[in-house]
Amino acid sequence: MSALRILVSFKVTPDFEALREADWLAGAAHDAARGVETRYVRRVLNCFDESALELALRLSDARAERGFATRLGAFSVGGRETAPYLKTLLALGYERAARVEPEAALDFAPAVTASIIAGYARQVDHSALLLLGCRSGPGDSGTVPFLVAEKLGWPCLTQVIEVEPLADDRVRVACMVDDGLLRVTLRLPCVLAVGNAVVSQLRVPTLTDRLARRDKRIDVVEAADLGVDIAGELSREPCVLTGLEAIDRSRPGVIIGGASPREKARVLYDSHLKSLIEKL
Amino acid sequence: MHLSREAIVESLQQIVGPDDVITDEAVLVQSSVDNFRKLQNIFDVHTMPVPAAVVMARSTRQVAEILSFADEHGVNVIPRTGATATEGGLESAVADSVIIDGSAMNQILSIDAYNMQATAQCGVPLQVLEDRAREQGLTTGHSPQSKPVAHMGGLVATRSIGQFSTLYGGIEDMVVGLEAVFPGGQVTRIKNVPRRAAGPDIRHVVIGNEGALCFITEVTVKLFPYFPENNTFLGWTLKDMKTGFEVLREVMVSGYRASVARVYDPGDAGLHFSHFVAPDDCVLLFMAEGAPGIAKATAEGIAAIVAGHPECRKVDSEYISTWFNDLCWDASKIIAEDERIRQTRNVNRTTEISADWSSINEIYQAARARIIEEIPDITMMGGHSSHSYINGTNMYFNYFFNVVGVGPEEETTKYYLPIIGIICEETLKRGGSIVHHHGIGKARTPWVKDEYGSSYYILETLKHAFDPHGIMNKGTIIPK
Repeated sequence: MSALRILVSFKVTPDFEALREADWLAGAAHDAARGVETRYVRRVLNCFDESALELALRLSDARAERGFATRLGAFSVGGRETAPYLKTLLALGYERAARVEPEAALDFAPAVTASIIAGYARQVDHSALLLLGCRSGPGDSGTVPFLVAEKLGWPCLTQVIEVEPLADDRVRVACMVDDGLLRVTLRLPCVLAVGNAVVSQLRVPTLTDRLARRDKRIDVVEAADLGVDIAGELSREPCVLTGLEAIDRSRPGVIIGGASPREKARVLYDSHLKSLIEKL
Repeated sequence: MHLSREAIVESLQQIVGPDDVITDEAVLVQSSVDNFRKLQNIFDVHTMPVPAAVVMARSTRQVAEILSFADEHGVNVIPRTGATATEGGLESAVADSVIIDGSAMNQILSIDAYNMQATAQCGVPLQVLEDRAREQGLTTGHSPQSKPVAHMGGLVATRSIGQFSTLYGGIEDMVVGLEAVFPGGQVTRIKNVPRRAAGPDIRHVVIGNEGALCFITEVTVKLFPYFPENNTFLGWTLKDMKTGFEVLREVMVSGYRASVARVYDPGDAGLHFSHFVAPDDCVLLFMAEGAPGIAKATAEGIAAIVAGHPECRKVDSEYISTWFNDLCWDASKIIAEDERIRQTRNVNRTTEISADWSSINEIYQAARARIIEEIPDITMMGGHSSHSYINGTNMYFNYFFNVVGVGPEEETTKYYLPIIGIICEETLKRGGSIVHHHGIGKARTPWVKDEYGSSYYILETLKHAFDPHGIMNKGTIIPK
């Protein structure tokens, strides 16, 4: 039986946490069309994609324990900033690493991004299971996984938080739904959009791992070779950034008084916690 | 005869009242360690003796009474304020120790804008003092990464240094006077004067004592005018650390006082600057600050020196200023880091040393090569120089490793202490100091006699003189 090919698509984003409030306000006030200036902050893995990358490694490990072979691939739509992450993934045991460097910025362009990911999965990678984060940073539409699934003609599960092997061609998936946890068995192929999983951190390769796999290549693929006309598709994107507005997230608060910690704790309990506990 | 745990608690309750003697088991267990054993804390695996109590001191008088009681009955005490120590200085080395917590002594007593000095109790967070000073257009000039969480007493006790030290100096250059309590309850005040030549500078008996000689209750530090609008950031990439050290030396020897002067090796640069540097790039960066003429002249002088090294390539200053503005640790970053470690068992540790200009690059190269060669499971081995002087600089080794095949309780023995050992050995071999700014704590005591050489006599005599019964933070600075 041939090995299951799993592809994880990830995005490298600016570290929005490193932006100051003034950076956001400057973007809103002066340059709404271009958005907030993020060029100067460091890059990080989109947190949902990071979960997807680690879940794929764990799935591969679990499949190996059951005697099922797996071949992992990592893919990103992005520039050279993605290369260190692809190198890291190769060192961690991903056997394939590829990126498409778009000739235009693809922020707020979910349909184009989805076309590239679907094109790569179908035409180049021939994967049967595709994992990706359910959304990326601020301004993201959250529609890429759905659009990818639609273009591939595969089923799509969202808010995935766990994936385990069941048989060579099936996985058992846990997804968060409105009123609880849904566990389903899926026959492949399918797209899994990873949500707020407990597994949120990618493991770290040792220097020895990096040295052993330093010659593995990152493939740079042209969007045109995947049949994607970026300029043409961009012109048909329905979403355009028109402005930014600060949201007031301040909340009313009360400073608790009291002569001692014990007294303050009593006030906190009587005035706030007690009623909450009684509702449980 | 040693007192029982119950008798210790009862006596403390009589001194400070029952509300301020904490005996909750979870608090005691957490208080048995500091960040030296952070992996154990994260995984809730504890191996150190559990203290008898954490006692919240609210006045100098209470501290004096506690120390008098402890001295009389041979009870080991561990002074602490913000509890951000990294070298085991807050670990309870013996059972039934008492943690004297000064964080409730948190009043700013004065901000004297005319005499340019501020007086604060030991439990005032540096961030709070700094914010109050800035309201008057002043700054303490002290900015360690722990600024939001560290308190004034602990900063002085551990000889803290901040990110602007190349201009403002370490905390030892800032403290003008203080109040401390010694074993037996002796309260001493060192008055606030600009300078004096009245014998040895006794401030230095207290500064950096790490709770092994006395408890610091109050400090007075210098203030400086604050001109953030003139801050000028400069950055370059380059291909080797040797050139970076050479540029730092030229800047220092030429008399330019940048507040920040750093060079990062490729590993460490990759953690901070991967969005604008190549994987094998080092990063050289500076911040010039002060009155307009000073900031301008400093920035121009530094740029002229770097221009003499054409291999240095200028980067957009905005990269440096944006990075710098997000450098300090706060509670949310600490929580996020703990979660990362919990999931990956990938641990970040640091060890900082100092040496003269002739030796620093050799120490960096030798220690780095040995650690990569000798220690398993290393995922990143790098570092940077961040505090420079006329005669040398520091090296802040920054390294990560995966904890493999052992439990959290063995992380220090399998990885951390052997790495510290290599760094200390390579440093001592070349005449450097094994501790630039985190303190000796308990972690680096195996090398303290070699660090001091024949001057260990002075250190040991201080300990015997001020703490004859050995009740002050046993095992810290002086090996147990």
